[in-house]
Amino acid sequence: MKGEYVMKKIAIGGGQGFWGDSPDAALHMLRHADIQYMACDYLAELTMSIMAKQQLKDPGKGYAPDFVTRILKEGGKEAWEKGIRILTNAGGMNITGCVEAIRQWADSAGMKGYKVGYVTGDSIKEKIPQLLKEGWTFPNFDYDGDFNEIVDKIYNCNAYIGHESIKECLKQGADVVITGRAADSALFLAPFAHEFGWAEDDWDNLARGIMAGHLLECGGQGAGGNYMYDWRGVPRMDELGFPIAEITEDTFEITKAPDCGGVICEQSCKEQFLYEVLDPANYMTPDVNVDISQATITQVGPDRVRIGNVRGKQRPDKLKLCVGYHKGWKTVSMLSFAWPDAYEKAQYCADVIMKKMAKRGMKADDIHISYIGVNSLHLNVADMSEESLKNLNECVLRIAVFSEDKSECAKIIPEISPMQLNGPPGASFFGGRAHVQEVMALWPTYVPRDALDIQAHILEV
Amino acid sequence: MTKIFLNDIAHGRSGDKGDTSNVCVYARKPEYYKIIEREVTPEALHAHFGDMVKGEIIRYDVPSLGGFNFVMKHALGGGATMSLRLDSLGKSMGSAVMRMKINVTDEELAEINNV
Repeated sequence: MKGEYVMKKIAIGGGQGFWGDSPDAALHMLRHADIQYMACDYLAELTMSIMAKQQLKDPGKGYAPDFVTRILKEGGKEAWEKGIRILTNAGGMNITGCVEAIRQWADSAGMKGYKVGYVTGDSIKEKIPQLLKEGWTFPNFDYDGDFNEIVDKIYNCNAYIGHESIKECLKQGADVVITGRAADSALFLAPFAHEFGWAEDDWDNLARGIMAGHLLECGGQGAGGNYMYDWRGVPRMDELGFPIAEITEDTFEITKAPDCGGVICEQSCKEQFLYEVLDPANYMTPDVNVDISQATITQVGPDRVRIGNVRGKQRPDKLKLCVGYHKGWKTVSMLSFAWPDAYEKAQYCADVIMKKMAKRGMKADDIHISYIGVNSLHLNVADMSEESLKNLNECVLRIAVFSEDKSECAKIIPEISPMQLNGPPGASFFGGRAHVQEVMALWPTYVPRDALDIQAHILEV
Repeated sequence: MTKIFLNDIAHGRSGDKGDTSNVCVYARKPEYYKIIEREVTPEALHAHFGDMVKGEIIRYDVPSLGGFNFVMKHALGGGATMSLRLDSLGKSMGSAVMRMKINVTDEELAEINNV
């Protein structure tokens, strides 16, 4: 190297954007990209409640098994051999269950010495009575309401935890790290903080790591998926690559693996950059309060942009707590209608059904009627002009009913299919009878940091 | 003055946090930033949505990126978990914002049509 100083560069790939995402880009990345880490996000706001419910029925469930069956089984051994370390919040509500599935897989794959790191302590449901006793009120930061009224209906109670314990697992040599409700971006920050030795109050650097995570945590959305600017121009969407973040002490760039589809450009990054951020000057995470209100995004090469001017401020002293609880029940029923007068027939049919339900004495707490093909997405702002409706080819009536009482919700179910014979002409019933579905709600609140006992563990195969 | 769709000069993406819809809106060309700044005020957006957005609308300006972040509270019919809407996550709120009609001057229109 003739004494030339080569700046340390760490590259992390985003492998999954949600529970149910395609594994294609993650596997392509593991095989073809020059990365040292890959992080896979599985948890959306409601996912923990769904997992908690699954675990109640079957104690072996409650995590995202796809991480083991679709990512590790297909690409985990190759990643290990190459030294690519993987981080994920796939542990969900059953971290040890996920770890055990990984141990079994690694064991059967002959990967002796494979180190599984995992982080426990984000789930604090059992601590609620004590915290209430101590005077913590769990105020809902979206709506008014008294936490005591939902306390008996809680499915899960998870704090969004930061990167520190994930970093600890990496320090102890973990090849894969499993967490529960770690903040999505913390999975990405941890490797950077570990590699560069960033202090826990190095706010500007922590903010860079968080924004790298933010641009990667939604997978394909960071590389031309869900891309309003020029969706037609995205190359090879069927082989969409997911984004990769490369960070040095001085630079922060986003790119993607070689030989895959997708696009990394100023506009594609911008669409993801402010996605779900709320106040750009105060993007709160457990690790740092991020300020991107002066940030810049610049194209610096083909499928490569540079992010600048990301700043950080002191982290919040409380952690966001996500409480999922039982709210009630809903049914969704649909019927389709064709030209001529498709929309008018659907409307007429909705009236007929509602009159029948009034006679049945259905007590709904909320009813939402919309017309797929007309206004079910844009609602108030849909074009309802006579011109746009008169030659409609088809229209689907959709009736959604919510009730706290399951039996009230169920009353509408048998009334839909008879409309094929007893309603306006051409009604077509599809998809089978509706089912009553449970409605879960979220109670967004805060919890003091010291209410948690976060622990990092290592299991060696 | 002519009315055009915001969609003609902007792009963006919608996301959700509970019952809050977050839509970022970027100027397709730097010169369109000032038009969006003038036309897409929180009040104008509220008038566009009517009671579909029940809470407050806040606009955050991010000139360094040529865009704006709109935070609309109580905008998703209760949010992902509770909403009875087909689009409970508000994935189409981005295009619903782009559907807003905005006023442009003749000079601005000439500039837009020149593309």
